[in-house]
Amino acid sequence: MRAADAVSQLRPRLSLRGRLYLFSAAILILFAINVGTSLWGSFARNESSLAYQEAVTAAQLTAELEQNLQTKRQQVLVLATLRETTDEPLDEAALEQARADLEIISERLRQLGGFGGEELEAHYRRLHDSVTALLAEWRQFYEQYNADGAIIAVESARSYNSTQQRLQELDQRQSFVAVQRANAIDRTITLTDQITVIGFISSIAITLALVFAMIRSTNASLTRMKRGVERFGSGDLTYRIDDQRDSGEIGDLARTFNDMSAKLQIAIEEMNTARADADSANAAKSMFLANVSHELRTPLNAIIGYSEMLQDELGDGLDIDREQFHHDLATIIFSGNQLLTLINDILDLSKIETGKMQVSLEVFSPAALLVQVCDALSPLLSQNNNRLVLDIDNDSMRDINSDRGKLQQIVTNLFSNACKFTKEGDITVSASMTADALTVAVADTGIGMTQAQQDRVFEAFIQAESNTGLQYGGTGLGLAIVREFCTMLGGSIALESRPDEGSVFRVTLPAGPTSVRASA
Amino acid sequence: MVMSEQLILLVEDNEVNRDMLVRRLERAGHRVSTAGDGEAALQNMRALQPAVVLMDMNLPVKDGWSACEEAAGDASIKHIPIIALTAHAMAEDKHRALEAGCCDYATKPVNFPELLEKIATCLNAGR
Repeated sequence: MRAADAVSQLRPRLSLRGRLYLFSAAILILFAINVGTSLWGSFARNESSLAYQEAVTAAQLTAELEQNLQTKRQQVLVLATLRETTDEPLDEAALEQARADLEIISERLRQLGGFGGEELEAHYRRLHDSVTALLAEWRQFYEQYNADGAIIAVESARSYNSTQQRLQELDQRQSFVAVQRANAIDRTITLTDQITVIGFISSIAITLALVFAMIRSTNASLTRMKRGVERFGSGDLTYRIDDQRDSGEIGDLARTFNDMSAKLQIAIEEMNTARADADSANAAKSMFLANVSHELRTPLNAIIGYSEMLQDELGDGLDIDREQFHHDLATIIFSGNQLLTLINDILDLSKIETGKMQVSLEVFSPAALLVQVCDALSPLLSQNNNRLVLDIDNDSMRDINSDRGKLQQIVTNLFSNACKFTKEGDITVSASMTADALTVAVADTGIGMTQAQQDRVFEAFIQAESNTGLQYGGTGLGLAIVREFCTMLGGSIALESRPDEGSVFRVTLPAGPTSVRASA
Repeated sequence: MVMSEQLILLVEDNEVNRDMLVRRLERAGHRVSTAGDGEAALQNMRALQPAVVLMDMNLPVKDGWSACEEAAGDASIKHIPIIALTAHAMAEDKHRALEAGCCDYATKPVNFPELLEKIATCLNAGR
């Protein structure tokens, strides 16, 4: 199992190109092995045919040699008989012919020595000795033939017989060696035939196995790729193709796909975030519009309602209660002013948002401004029976260089907020100055806010609760405007609040013109 | 002008608007009682059994939608028709009010002749 795992881990690590090279090399090697065994087989057949020819030639030579010896012996026997009966000498031509015959025999013997090699060496050596001795005796017979009174020595029958026997032995040996060689060559031919067949079959098998393995491994890689791309296509961009299983081109492709998926994922997340931002901005605008519509309708309801009612009262011809009439007109005027404030707030915020709000600097007394604003807003105090505490540190107060109108609006908004959210409590407006900064704080003992409400209360269109505006009035624009103005004047606003205990809004503005910013 | 014997309950938290509507309805010959929040509205409905209720939906303590739903679940007052009265002028606000069980809907600023017609329709339907 371990080995199989190791193999299966090793194989796919080859790149596609590597696999193709390996596959081609394996097929070439198998092809070379087949060609080699085929060549070996044809060489063995060639050897076999040469050995056969050699054996035939050697057998012919042996037969001829035997024939020559037999002929020569009969001649010698005839001549010896003639010499004893007629005592007629041989002429020179006959002697020359006899020497030539002997020389031919000798030549045949040498030719025979060229065949057979080591296996026939011993038999040939013995034949050679025997034939050489016989030929020597015959030569001596011819030399002494014409000499007078010479004893004609004729080779003994034993010498010839022994030569004959050696010839036969050589002949047998030749046959034996030829059979042996033929057998050996036959075995080689059978073996090479078998190897050729086995090589061919195994080549086919190995090639098929390689093709199968390559198709399988490549197919597995491509299947992984396909599965991954399908997952990406179905929107699952967190999926990652296993890019460690393949090296080379397929691994690269897997990594490229993974990179693509990661980038798509980021792009889609960014798009979703942008869309969510746009949606929530849109929702905030719609909500703002709904709130604005609501807030415009509330004072309009009073204005139109009272006007129609007064018109009816004037028209019905009854006596008019002058005091009641005056009060109703005051209500209409109050509602008209409320409407104006609201419209101004919306315009201010719109100007701030489009960057068109200007800062106009002048030197003025903040203490005087605070007193003036508190006087002007005193009717708000009486609405909820609140009490004003004015705490101005006159020792530290002096003139500042800032935007008078904006500071007035900041204090007005904070003051009216405090009056709105406090019933029968204290509204404390305090002010003090350091060398370069003015701090104005508006504190109340009203409903206060939780931390979560404080975190959002300065955002435009947001009130502490969605129905706060409905309950207490206002569109949630006042504090957003205050914060924007503080920023434009180079200052800041801080808030401390506890539910049911009250809130403190503390504005800090630079006293001089140096740190005043031209726009937000 | 015929003095109606039937009582109208006006639920409105804004004093100015409440005063104005009470006076106009009385001039139109109706008998009017008032409540300043949703909880008081439900109590008055049970105690006074008005013929019709004019309900502002944005109320302290308990808002108009909750009050309408509670009224619909209370056998002693669920027959009393409620006309929603609100400065929310969006189409979905009207839809929401009708879903909460109101029989009609009027947007502020109130078109008074129209409001009178709606009241008359509800009263006739109630008979």
